[in-house]
Amino acid sequence: MTDTPFVEVEGLHYARGDTSIFRGIDMAILPNKMTAIMGPSGTGKTTLLKLIGGQLSPDAGRVLIDGEDVHRLSRKALFSLRRRMGMLFQSGALFSDLDVYENVAFPLRVHTDLPESMIRDLVLLKLQAVGLRGARELTPAELSGGMARRVALARALALDPELILYDEPFVGQDPISMGVLVQLIRRLNDALGLTAIVVSHDIKETLSIADHVYVIADGQVMAHGTPDSLDVEQDARVRQFVHGEPDGPVPFHYPGPAFHADLMGSGGVR
Amino acid sequence: MIERVHQLGRWGCRSLESLGDAGIFLVQSMFGIPSLEGVRLWLHQVHFVGVLSLAIVLVSGLFIGMVLALQGYTILVDFGAEDALGQMVALSLLRELAPVVAALLFAGRAGSALTAEIGLMKATEQLTSMEMIGVDPLRRVVAPRLWAGFVALPLLTIGFGVVGIWGGQLVGVQWLGVFEGSYWGNMQASVDFIGDVGNGLVKSLVFALVVTWIAVYQGYALVPTSEGISRATTRTVVYASLAVLGLDFLLTAVMFGGLS
Repeated sequence: MTDTPFVEVEGLHYARGDTSIFRGIDMAILPNKMTAIMGPSGTGKTTLLKLIGGQLSPDAGRVLIDGEDVHRLSRKALFSLRRRMGMLFQSGALFSDLDVYENVAFPLRVHTDLPESMIRDLVLLKLQAVGLRGARELTPAELSGGMARRVALARALALDPELILYDEPFVGQDPISMGVLVQLIRRLNDALGLTAIVVSHDIKETLSIADHVYVIADGQVMAHGTPDSLDVEQDARVRQFVHGEPDGPVPFHYPGPAFHADLMGSGGVR
Repeated sequence: MIERVHQLGRWGCRSLESLGDAGIFLVQSMFGIPSLEGVRLWLHQVHFVGVLSLAIVLVSGLFIGMVLALQGYTILVDFGAEDALGQMVALSLLRELAPVVAALLFAGRAGSALTAEIGLMKATEQLTSMEMIGVDPLRRVVAPRLWAGFVALPLLTIGFGVVGIWGGQLVGVQWLGVFEGSYWGNMQASVDFIGDVGNGLVKSLVFALVVTWIAVYQGYALVPTSEGISRATTRTVVYASLAVLGLDFLLTAVMFGGLS
Protein backbone atom coordinates (compact mmCIF):
# COMPACT_ATOMS: atom_id res chain seq x y z
CA MET A 1 0.00 0.00 0.00
CA THR A 2 1.49 3.36 -1.02
CA ASP A 3 0.81 6.85 0.15
CA THR A 4 0.67 8.27 -3.37
CA PRO A 5 -2.82 9.69 -3.73
CA PHE A 6 -5.05 7.87 -6.21
CA VAL A 7 -7.08 10.99 -6.91
CA GLU A 8 -5.61 14.48 -6.67
CA VAL A 9 -7.60 17.67 -6.91
CA GLU A 10 -5.44 20.75 -7.39
CA GLY A 11 -6.58 24.38 -7.20
CA LEU A 12 -10.01 23.61 -8.57
CA HIS A 13 -12.15 26.60 -9.58
CA TYR A 14 -15.62 26.23 -10.96
CA ALA A 15 -18.45 28.68 -11.54
CA ARG A 16 -21.95 28.10 -12.81
CA GLY A 17 -22.98 31.24 -14.66
CA ASP A 18 -22.09 34.10 -12.33
CA THR A 19 -22.20 31.97 -9.19
CA SER A 20 -18.82 30.77 -8.06
CA ILE A 21 -19.08 27.23 -6.67
CA PHE A 22 -15.45 26.35 -5.96
CA ARG A 23 -12.63 28.77 -5.27
CA GLY A 24 -9.48 26.72 -5.10
CA ILE A 25 -10.12 23.23 -3.77
CA ASP A 26 -7.19 20.91 -3.05
CA MET A 27 -7.66 17.30 -2.08
CA ALA A 28 -5.60 14.13 -1.98
CA ILE A 29 -7.59 10.92 -1.92
CA LEU A 30 -5.51 7.99 -0.75
CA PRO A 31 -5.82 4.55 -2.33
CA ASN A 32 -7.79 1.80 -0.57
CA LYS A 33 -9.31 4.32 1.81
CA MET A 34 -12.80 5.68 2.15
CA THR A 35 -12.76 9.44 1.92
CA ALA A 36 -15.87 11.43 2.77
CA ILE A 37 -16.64 14.84 1.34
CA MET A 38 -19.12 16.61 3.58
CA GLY A 39 -20.72 19.98 3.70
CA PRO A 40 -24.09 21.71 3.90
CA SER A 41 -26.60 21.30 1.06
CA GLY A 42 -25.89 23.49 -1.93
CA THR A 43 -22.13 23.67 -1.45
CA GLY A 44 -21.58 21.74 -4.67
CA LYS A 45 -20.62 18.31 -3.37
CA THR A 46 -22.32 16.53 -6.25
CA THR A 47 -20.75 19.05 -8.64
CA LEU A 48 -17.35 18.09 -7.23
CA LEU A 49 -18.06 14.41 -7.98
CA LYS A 50 -19.06 15.36 -11.52
CA LEU A 51 -15.81 17.27 -11.91
CA ILE A 52 -13.86 14.25 -10.66
CA GLY A 53 -15.78 11.96 -13.01
CA GLY A 54 -15.06 14.27 -15.94
CA GLN A 55 -18.70 15.15 -16.66
CA LEU A 56 -17.99 18.81 -15.99
CA SER A 57 -14.84 20.80 -16.78
CA PRO A 58 -13.31 23.15 -14.23
CA ASP A 59 -12.55 26.80 -15.00
CA ALA A 60 -9.09 26.39 -13.49
CA GLY A 61 -7.13 23.70 -11.71
CA ARG A 62 -7.02 20.02 -12.49
CA VAL A 63 -8.08 16.58 -11.35
CA LEU A 64 -5.63 13.69 -11.59
CA ILE A 65 -6.82 10.11 -11.35
CA ASP A 66 -3.96 7.64 -11.09
CA GLY A 67 -1.71 10.32 -12.62
CA GLU A 68 -3.98 11.10 -15.59
CA ASP A 69 -5.46 14.58 -15.99
CA VAL A 70 -9.16 13.81 -16.40
CA HIS A 71 -10.00 16.97 -18.31
CA ARG A 72 -7.18 16.68 -20.82
CA LEU A 73 -8.08 13.19 -21.96
CA SER A 74 -9.74 12.58 -25.31
CA ARG A 75 -13.36 11.44 -25.20
CA LYS A 76 -12.23 7.89 -25.90
CA ALA A 77 -9.51 7.87 -23.23
CA LEU A 78 -11.94 9.37 -20.73
CA PHE A 79 -14.44 6.58 -21.36
CA SER A 80 -11.76 3.95 -20.92
CA LEU A 81 -10.68 5.61 -17.64
CA ARG A 82 -14.29 5.50 -16.50
CA ARG A 83 -14.31 1.72 -16.87
CA ARG A 84 -12.04 1.73 -13.83
CA MET A 85 -14.54 3.81 -11.86
CA GLY A 86 -17.96 3.07 -10.49
CA MET A 87 -20.50 5.65 -9.45
CA LEU A 88 -23.56 5.30 -7.29
CA PHE A 89 -26.10 7.98 -8.08
CA GLN A 90 -28.46 9.59 -5.62
CA SER A 91 -31.48 8.31 -7.52
CA GLY A 92 -29.88 5.00 -8.44
CA ALA A 93 -30.24 5.95 -12.12
CA LEU A 94 -31.11 2.40 -13.16
CA PHE A 95 -31.98 1.91 -16.82
CA SER A 96 -35.76 1.85 -16.79
CA ASP A 97 -36.08 -0.35 -19.88
CA LEU A 98 -34.00 -3.18 -18.37
CA ASP A 99 -34.80 -5.43 -15.40
CA VAL A 100 -32.57 -5.76 -12.33
CA TYR A 101 -30.55 -8.63 -13.81
CA GLU A 102 -29.91 -6.81 -17.10
CA ASN A 103 -29.02 -3.59 -15.30
CA VAL A 104 -26.23 -5.34 -13.41
CA ALA A 105 -25.20 -7.27 -16.53
CA PHE A 106 -25.05 -4.08 -18.63
CA PRO A 107 -21.43 -3.03 -17.87
CA LEU A 108 -20.27 -6.65 -18.33
CA ARG A 109 -22.01 -6.97 -21.67
CA VAL A 110 -20.64 -3.73 -23.10
CA HIS A 111 -17.08 -4.01 -21.80
CA THR A 112 -16.29 -7.73 -21.83
CA ASP A 113 -16.66 -10.71 -24.17
CA LEU A 114 -17.49 -13.11 -21.37
CA PRO A 115 -19.73 -16.06 -22.19
CA GLU A 116 -23.33 -15.82 -21.04
CA SER A 117 -22.88 -18.42 -18.28
CA MET A 118 -20.05 -16.41 -16.70
CA ILE A 119 -22.00 -13.17 -16.94
CA ARG A 120 -24.83 -14.95 -15.13
CA ASP A 121 -22.50 -16.10 -12.36
CA LEU A 122 -20.99 -12.63 -11.93
CA VAL A 123 -24.41 -10.92 -11.89
CA LEU A 124 -25.70 -13.38 -9.29
CA LEU A 125 -22.57 -12.86 -7.18
CA LYS A 126 -23.00 -9.09 -7.20
CA LEU A 127 -26.71 -9.34 -6.48
CA GLN A 128 -26.00 -11.80 -3.66
CA ALA A 129 -23.55 -9.29 -2.18
CA VAL A 130 -26.27 -6.64 -1.97
CA GLY A 131 -28.89 -9.19 -0.88
CA LEU A 132 -31.12 -8.89 -3.94
CA ARG A 133 -30.46 -12.11 -5.83
CA GLY A 134 -34.15 -12.96 -5.48
CA ALA A 135 -35.21 -9.65 -7.04
CA ARG A 136 -33.47 -10.17 -10.37
CA GLU A 137 -36.71 -10.38 -12.38
CA LEU A 138 -38.10 -7.08 -11.08
CA THR A 139 -38.07 -3.86 -13.11
CA PRO A 140 -36.67 -0.64 -11.58
CA ALA A 141 -40.23 0.70 -11.20
CA GLU A 142 -41.05 -2.19 -8.83
CA LEU A 143 -38.15 -1.49 -6.45
CA SER A 144 -38.21 0.66 -3.32
CA GLY A 145 -35.70 3.51 -3.09
CA GLY A 146 -33.33 1.54 -0.90
CA MET A 147 -33.49 -1.52 -3.14
CA ALA A 148 -32.87 0.60 -6.24
CA ARG A 149 -29.76 2.01 -4.60
CA ARG A 150 -28.51 -1.46 -3.73
CA VAL A 151 -29.05 -2.65 -7.31
CA ALA A 152 -27.20 0.44 -8.49
CA LEU A 153 -24.40 -0.46 -6.10
CA ALA A 154 -24.24 -3.97 -7.57
CA ARG A 155 -24.09 -2.43 -11.04
CA ALA A 156 -21.37 0.04 -10.03
CA LEU A 157 -19.32 -2.90 -8.72
CA ALA A 158 -19.96 -5.16 -11.71
CA LEU A 159 -16.64 -4.43 -13.40
CA ASP A 160 -14.67 -4.49 -10.12
CA PRO A 161 -13.65 -0.82 -10.29
CA GLU A 162 -10.62 0.62 -8.52
CA LEU A 163 -12.40 3.84 -7.61
CA ILE A 164 -16.00 4.19 -6.56
CA LEU A 165 -17.91 7.44 -6.12
CA TYR A 166 -20.98 7.52 -3.88
CA ASP A 167 -23.31 10.46 -4.37
CA GLU A 168 -25.41 10.95 -1.21
CA PRO A 169 -25.91 7.23 -0.62
CA PHE A 170 -27.95 7.67 2.58
CA VAL A 171 -30.37 10.40 1.55
CA GLY A 172 -34.06 9.63 2.07
CA GLN A 173 -33.64 6.12 3.48
CA ASP A 174 -35.60 4.60 6.34
CA PRO A 175 -33.48 3.51 9.34
CA ILE A 176 -33.35 -0.12 8.22
CA SER A 177 -32.23 0.54 4.63
CA MET A 178 -29.86 3.18 5.95
CA GLY A 179 -28.26 0.64 8.30
CA VAL A 180 -28.08 -1.91 5.49
CA LEU A 181 -26.43 0.56 3.13
CA VAL A 182 -23.91 1.85 5.68
CA GLN A 183 -22.83 -1.66 6.57
CA LEU A 184 -22.82 -2.78 2.94
CA ILE A 185 -20.68 0.09 1.72
CA ARG A 186 -18.10 -0.36 4.47
CA ARG A 187 -18.00 -4.15 4.14
CA LEU A 188 -17.69 -4.14 0.37
CA ASN A 189 -14.99 -1.52 0.54
CA ASP A 190 -12.94 -3.55 3.00
CA ALA A 191 -13.46 -6.78 1.10
CA LEU A 192 -12.59 -5.34 -2.31
CA GLY A 193 -9.91 -2.85 -1.25
CA LEU A 194 -11.54 -0.01 -3.17
CA THR A 195 -10.66 3.64 -3.17
CA ALA A 196 -13.94 5.31 -2.34
CA ILE A 197 -15.25 8.86 -2.25
CA VAL A 198 -18.51 9.38 -0.36
CA VAL A 199 -20.34 12.64 -0.76
CA SER A 200 -22.84 13.10 2.02
CA HIS A 201 -24.29 15.33 4.68
CA ASP A 202 -25.44 12.52 6.95
CA ILE A 203 -22.83 13.18 9.60
CA LYS A 204 -23.27 10.23 11.95
CA GLU A 205 -23.41 7.55 9.25
CA THR A 206 -20.61 9.00 7.18
CA LEU A 207 -18.24 9.59 10.07
CA SER A 208 -18.84 6.01 11.21
CA ILE A 209 -17.49 4.53 7.97
CA ALA A 210 -15.00 7.08 6.59
CA ASP A 211 -11.23 6.90 7.03
CA HIS A 212 -10.68 10.53 6.10
CA VAL A 213 -13.06 13.46 5.89
CA TYR A 214 -13.06 16.74 3.96
CA VAL A 215 -15.53 19.43 4.97
CA ILE A 216 -16.26 21.94 2.24
CA ALA A 217 -18.24 25.17 2.49
CA ASP A 218 -18.16 28.49 0.67
CA GLY A 219 -16.26 26.92 -2.21
CA GLN A 220 -13.29 25.94 -0.10
CA VAL A 221 -12.03 23.11 2.04
CA MET A 222 -12.83 24.16 5.62
CA ALA A 223 -11.17 21.27 7.37
CA HIS A 224 -9.93 17.78 6.77
CA GLY A 225 -8.66 14.92 8.83
CA THR A 226 -9.81 11.72 10.48
CA PRO A 227 -13.39 11.58 11.83
CA ASP A 228 -12.06 11.87 15.40
CA SER A 229 -10.00 14.97 14.68
CA LEU A 230 -13.11 16.71 13.25
CA ASP A 231 -14.97 16.24 16.50
CA VAL A 232 -12.54 18.51 18.28
CA GLU A 233 -12.16 20.97 15.40
CA GLN A 234 -12.28 24.59 16.58
CA ASP A 235 -13.44 26.37 13.39
CA ALA A 236 -16.96 27.67 14.09
CA ARG A 237 -18.34 26.70 10.67
CA VAL A 238 -17.03 23.16 10.96
CA ARG A 239 -18.37 22.88 14.51
CA GLN A 240 -21.80 24.08 13.42
CA PHE A 241 -21.93 21.50 10.66
CA VAL A 242 -20.50 18.55 12.56
CA HIS A 243 -22.73 19.14 15.57
CA GLY A 244 -25.78 20.09 13.52
CA GLU A 245 -26.49 23.45 15.15
CA PRO A 246 -29.38 25.26 13.42
CA ASP A 247 -27.88 28.75 13.55
CA GLY A 248 -24.31 29.96 13.50
CA PRO A 249 -21.91 31.16 10.83
CA VAL A 250 -24.22 29.49 8.29
CA PRO A 251 -27.39 31.50 8.99
CA PHE A 252 -30.85 29.99 9.25
CA HIS A 253 -32.29 32.80 7.12
CA TYR A 254 -31.66 33.18 3.42
CA PRO A 255 -30.28 36.71 2.86
CA GLY A 256 -33.03 39.31 2.42
CA PRO A 257 -34.10 42.76 3.55
CA ALA A 258 -34.85 43.32 7.23
CA PHE A 259 -38.01 41.50 8.33
CA HIS A 260 -39.69 44.58 9.81
CA ALA A 261 -39.06 46.70 6.72
CA ASP A 262 -40.31 43.87 4.53
CA LEU A 263 -43.62 43.64 6.42
CA MET A 264 -44.22 47.39 6.56
CA GLY A 265 -43.15 48.34 3.06
CA SER A 266 -43.95 46.95 -0.40
CA GLY A 267 -47.66 48.06 -0.67
CA GLY A 268 -49.06 44.85 -2.09
CA VAL A 269 -46.06 43.99 -4.24
CA ARG A 270 -44.51 40.57 -3.73
CA MET B 1 -31.61 51.45 -29.04
CA ILE B 2 -28.06 50.27 -28.33
CA GLU B 3 -29.56 47.81 -25.84
CA ARG B 4 -31.73 46.37 -28.64
CA VAL B 5 -28.67 45.91 -30.84
CA HIS B 6 -26.92 44.21 -27.92
CA GLN B 7 -29.86 41.88 -27.43
CA LEU B 8 -29.98 41.04 -31.11
CA GLY B 9 -26.26 40.35 -31.10
CA ARG B 10 -26.51 38.14 -28.02
CA TRP B 11 -29.42 36.25 -29.53
CA GLY B 12 -27.46 35.80 -32.75
CA CYS B 13 -24.40 34.51 -30.92
CA ARG B 14 -26.47 32.12 -28.82
CA SER B 15 -28.30 30.78 -31.87
CA LEU B 16 -25.05 30.23 -33.74
CA GLU B 17 -23.53 28.56 -30.71
CA SER B 18 -26.42 26.13 -30.27
CA LEU B 19 -26.41 25.41 -34.01
CA GLY B 20 -22.70 24.59 -33.71
CA ASP B 21 -23.38 22.39 -30.68
CA ALA B 22 -26.11 20.58 -32.60
CA GLY B 23 -23.73 20.09 -35.53
CA ILE B 24 -20.99 18.59 -33.37
CA PHE B 25 -23.64 16.46 -31.69
CA LEU B 26 -24.79 15.16 -35.08
CA VAL B 27 -21.29 14.28 -36.27
CA GLN B 28 -20.34 12.62 -32.98
CA SER B 29 -23.42 10.45 -32.90
CA MET B 30 -23.77 9.56 -36.59
CA PHE B 31 -20.34 8.28 -37.43
CA GLY B 32 -18.62 5.26 -36.00
CA ILE B 33 -18.44 1.56 -36.67
CA PRO B 34 -21.69 -0.10 -35.61
CA SER B 35 -21.39 -3.21 -33.47
CA LEU B 36 -23.69 -6.22 -33.56
CA GLU B 37 -25.36 -4.80 -30.47
CA GLY B 38 -25.72 -1.49 -32.30
CA VAL B 39 -27.59 -3.21 -35.15
CA ARG B 40 -29.95 -4.83 -32.65
CA LEU B 41 -30.65 -1.48 -30.96
CA TRP B 42 -31.16 0.11 -34.38
CA LEU B 43 -33.69 -2.55 -35.41
CA HIS B 44 -35.55 -2.00 -32.16
CA GLN B 45 -35.75 1.72 -32.91
CA VAL B 46 -36.81 1.15 -36.53
CA HIS B 47 -39.72 -0.79 -35.09
CA PHE B 48 -40.48 1.99 -32.62
CA VAL B 49 -40.30 5.00 -34.97
CA GLY B 50 -41.11 3.24 -38.25
CA VAL B 51 -43.44 0.30 -37.84
CA LEU B 52 -45.48 1.97 -35.11
CA SER B 53 -45.93 5.07 -37.32
CA LEU B 54 -47.14 2.96 -40.23
CA ALA B 55 -50.85 3.12 -39.41
CA ILE B 56 -51.12 6.90 -39.12
CA VAL B 57 -49.00 7.47 -42.24
CA LEU B 58 -50.85 4.97 -44.43
CA VAL B 59 -54.34 6.10 -43.37
CA SER B 60 -53.37 9.74 -44.00
CA GLY B 61 -51.93 8.76 -47.39
CA LEU B 62 -55.17 7.04 -48.35
CA PHE B 63 -57.32 10.06 -47.49
CA ILE B 64 -55.00 12.55 -49.13
CA GLY B 65 -54.99 10.49 -52.35
CA MET B 66 -58.79 10.30 -52.27
CA VAL B 67 -59.19 14.04 -51.69
CA LEU B 68 -56.70 14.83 -54.46
CA ALA B 69 -58.65 12.70 -56.93
CA LEU B 70 -61.95 14.25 -55.90
CA GLN B 71 -60.70 17.84 -56.15
CA GLY B 72 -58.72 17.15 -59.29
CA TYR B 73 -61.64 15.51 -61.03
CA THR B 74 -64.03 18.42 -60.41
CA ILE B 75 -61.51 20.84 -61.92
CA LEU B 76 -60.26 18.66 -64.80
CA VAL B 77 -63.72 17.57 -65.92
CA ASP B 78 -64.57 21.18 -66.84
CA PHE B 79 -61.84 21.03 -69.46
CA GLY B 80 -62.67 17.49 -70.49
CA ALA B 81 -59.25 16.54 -69.19
CA GLU B 82 -60.26 13.99 -66.56
CA ASP B 83 -58.04 11.44 -68.31
CA ALA B 84 -55.06 13.32 -66.85
CA LEU B 85 -56.26 12.57 -63.30
CA GLY B 86 -53.73 9.80 -62.72
CA GLN B 87 -50.90 12.03 -63.80
CA MET B 88 -52.03 14.83 -61.51
CA VAL B 89 -52.50 12.60 -58.46
CA ALA B 90 -49.18 10.83 -58.95
CA LEU B 91 -47.10 13.95 -59.58
CA SER B 92 -48.51 15.92 -56.65
CA LEU B 93 -48.06 12.96 -54.32
CA LEU B 94 -44.59 11.91 -55.41
CA ARG B 95 -43.09 15.37 -55.73
CA GLU B 96 -44.67 17.14 -52.76
CA LEU B 97 -47.35 15.65 -50.60
CA ALA B 98 -45.84 12.29 -49.74
CA PRO B 99 -42.45 13.61 -48.52
CA VAL B 100 -43.88 16.67 -46.78
CA VAL B 101 -46.98 15.24 -45.11
CA ALA B 102 -45.21 12.04 -44.09
CA ALA B 103 -42.41 14.13 -42.51
CA LEU B 104 -44.92 16.31 -40.64
CA LEU B 105 -46.76 13.25 -39.34
CA PHE B 106 -43.45 11.65 -38.43
CA ALA B 107 -42.40 14.74 -36.46
CA GLY B 108 -45.63 14.63 -34.49
CA ARG B 109 -45.78 10.88 -33.94
CA ALA B 110 -42.16 9.76 -33.63
CA GLY B 111 -40.17 12.99 -33.17
CA SER B 112 -42.00 14.10 -30.03
CA ALA B 113 -41.74 10.58 -28.58
CA LEU B 114 -37.97 10.51 -29.21
CA THR B 115 -37.50 13.87 -27.49
CA ALA B 116 -39.57 12.86 -24.48
CA GLU B 117 -37.85 9.49 -24.15
CA ILE B 118 -34.30 10.84 -24.31
CA GLY B 119 -35.29 13.78 -22.09
CA LEU B 120 -36.68 11.48 -19.42
CA MET B 121 -33.53 9.38 -19.54
CA LYS B 122 -31.57 12.56 -18.97
CA ALA B 123 -33.83 13.75 -16.14
CA THR B 124 -33.46 10.43 -14.29
CA GLU B 125 -29.64 10.54 -14.70
CA GLN B 126 -29.68 7.43 -16.90
CA LEU B 127 -27.54 9.16 -19.53
CA THR B 128 -25.03 10.31 -16.91
CA SER B 129 -24.83 6.89 -15.35
CA MET B 130 -24.26 5.40 -18.79
CA GLU B 131 -21.37 7.84 -19.28
CA MET B 132 -19.92 6.85 -15.92
CA ILE B 133 -20.11 3.18 -16.87
CA GLY B 134 -17.92 4.13 -19.79
CA VAL B 135 -20.58 3.87 -22.49
CA ASP B 136 -21.07 6.87 -24.73
CA PRO B 137 -24.80 7.72 -24.75
CA LEU B 138 -24.34 9.38 -28.13
CA ARG B 139 -23.39 6.01 -29.58
CA ARG B 140 -25.69 3.85 -27.48
CA VAL B 141 -28.86 5.95 -27.20
CA VAL B 142 -28.73 8.68 -29.85
CA ALA B 143 -27.09 6.98 -32.85
CA PRO B 144 -29.58 4.08 -33.19
CA ARG B 145 -32.50 6.52 -33.01
CA LEU B 146 -30.95 8.89 -35.53
CA TRP B 147 -30.24 6.15 -38.05
CA ALA B 148 -33.64 4.55 -37.45
CA GLY B 149 -35.40 7.81 -38.30
CA PHE B 150 -33.16 8.33 -41.32
CA VAL B 151 -34.15 4.93 -42.73
CA ALA B 152 -37.74 4.75 -41.55
CA LEU B 153 -39.10 8.04 -42.89
CA PRO B 154 -38.18 7.45 -46.58
CA LEU B 155 -39.80 4.00 -46.34
CA LEU B 156 -42.91 5.52 -44.77
CA THR B 157 -42.93 8.11 -47.56
CA ILE B 158 -42.93 5.37 -50.20
CA GLY B 159 -45.84 3.72 -48.41
CA PHE B 160 -47.67 7.05 -48.23
CA GLY B 161 -47.23 7.60 -51.99
CA VAL B 162 -48.33 4.12 -52.97
CA VAL B 163 -51.44 4.15 -50.80
CA GLY B 164 -52.24 7.70 -51.94
CA ILE B 165 -52.15 6.73 -55.63
CA TRP B 166 -54.32 3.74 -54.87
CA GLY B 167 -56.77 5.99 -52.95
CA GLY B 168 -56.89 8.31 -55.97
CA GLN B 169 -57.70 5.35 -58.17
CA LEU B 170 -60.48 4.26 -55.81
CA VAL B 171 -62.20 7.63 -56.04
CA GLY B 172 -61.30 8.56 -59.62
CA VAL B 173 -61.80 5.23 -61.36
CA GLN B 174 -64.11 3.21 -59.16
CA TRP B 175 -66.37 6.00 -58.03
CA LEU B 176 -66.24 8.86 -60.53
CA GLY B 177 -65.76 6.64 -63.59
CA VAL B 178 -62.48 7.86 -65.10
CA PHE B 179 -61.30 5.26 -67.64
CA GLU B 180 -58.85 2.96 -65.82
CA GLY B 181 -56.50 2.63 -68.79
CA SER B 182 -56.00 6.38 -69.02
CA TYR B 183 -55.57 6.76 -65.23
CA TRP B 184 -52.62 4.35 -65.19
CA GLY B 185 -51.44 4.99 -68.77
CA ASN B 186 -51.10 8.77 -68.40
CA MET B 187 -49.40 8.27 -65.07
CA GLN B 188 -46.83 5.90 -66.56
CA ALA B 189 -46.20 8.18 -69.50
CA SER B 190 -45.63 11.34 -67.46
CA VAL B 191 -43.95 10.25 -64.23
CA ASP B 192 -40.19 10.20 -64.58
CA PHE B 193 -38.47 7.76 -62.26
CA ILE B 194 -35.39 9.85 -61.53
CA GLY B 195 -36.97 13.29 -61.86
CA ASP B 196 -40.10 12.66 -59.83
CA VAL B 197 -39.78 9.51 -57.72
CA GLY B 198 -36.05 10.06 -57.16
CA ASN B 199 -36.33 13.73 -56.23
CA GLY B 200 -39.23 12.95 -53.90
CA LEU B 201 -37.06 10.38 -52.15
CA VAL B 202 -34.14 12.80 -51.89
CA LYS B 203 -36.50 15.28 -50.23
CA SER B 204 -37.64 12.60 -47.88
CA LEU B 205 -34.08 11.67 -46.93
CA VAL B 206 -33.31 15.33 -46.15
CA PHE B 207 -36.49 15.66 -44.06
CA ALA B 208 -35.72 12.41 -42.25
CA LEU B 209 -32.31 13.63 -41.22
CA VAL B 210 -33.53 17.06 -40.14
CA VAL B 211 -36.60 15.88 -38.21
CA THR B 212 -34.77 13.11 -36.34
CA TRP B 213 -31.80 15.35 -35.68
CA ILE B 214 -34.01 18.04 -34.17
CA ALA B 215 -35.89 15.45 -32.10
CA VAL B 216 -32.87 13.72 -30.57
CA TYR B 217 -30.94 16.96 -30.05
CA GLN B 218 -33.87 18.60 -28.28
CA GLY B 219 -34.13 15.56 -26.02
CA TYR B 220 -30.41 15.43 -25.32
CA ALA B 221 -29.97 19.15 -24.66
CA LEU B 222 -33.13 19.88 -22.68
CA VAL B 223 -33.32 21.22 -19.14
CA PRO B 224 -34.01 18.06 -17.10
CA THR B 225 -37.24 19.11 -15.37
CA SER B 226 -40.87 18.30 -16.18
CA GLU B 227 -41.31 21.77 -17.64
CA GLY B 228 -38.12 21.38 -19.67
CA ILE B 229 -39.37 18.12 -21.17
CA SER B 230 -42.73 19.58 -22.15
CA ARG B 231 -41.06 22.61 -23.73
CA ALA B 232 -38.59 20.47 -25.63
CA THR B 233 -41.27 18.19 -27.08
CA THR B 234 -43.22 21.24 -28.24
CA ARG B 235 -40.06 22.72 -29.75
CA THR B 236 -39.36 19.48 -31.59
CA VAL B 237 -42.72 19.52 -33.35
CA VAL B 238 -42.61 23.27 -34.09
CA TYR B 239 -39.00 23.43 -35.31
CA ALA B 240 -39.26 20.19 -37.27
CA SER B 241 -42.47 21.27 -39.02
CA LEU B 242 -41.07 24.68 -39.93
CA ALA B 243 -37.79 23.15 -41.09
CA VAL B 244 -39.63 20.65 -43.29
CA LEU B 245 -41.81 23.30 -44.93
CA GLY B 246 -38.93 25.75 -45.39
CA LEU B 247 -36.57 23.14 -46.79
CA ASP B 248 -39.33 21.86 -49.05
CA PHE B 249 -39.52 25.25 -50.73
CA LEU B 250 -35.74 25.37 -51.17
CA LEU B 251 -35.53 21.83 -52.51
CA THR B 252 -38.47 22.37 -54.86
CA ALA B 253 -36.83 25.52 -56.18
CA VAL B 254 -33.63 23.62 -56.88
CA MET B 255 -35.22 20.42 -58.22
CA PHE B 256 -38.20 21.66 -60.20
CA GLY B 257 -37.85 25.46 -60.36
CA GLY B 258 -35.13 25.51 -63.00
CA LEU B 259 -32.49 26.74 -60.52
CA SER B 260 -30.21 23.78 -61.07
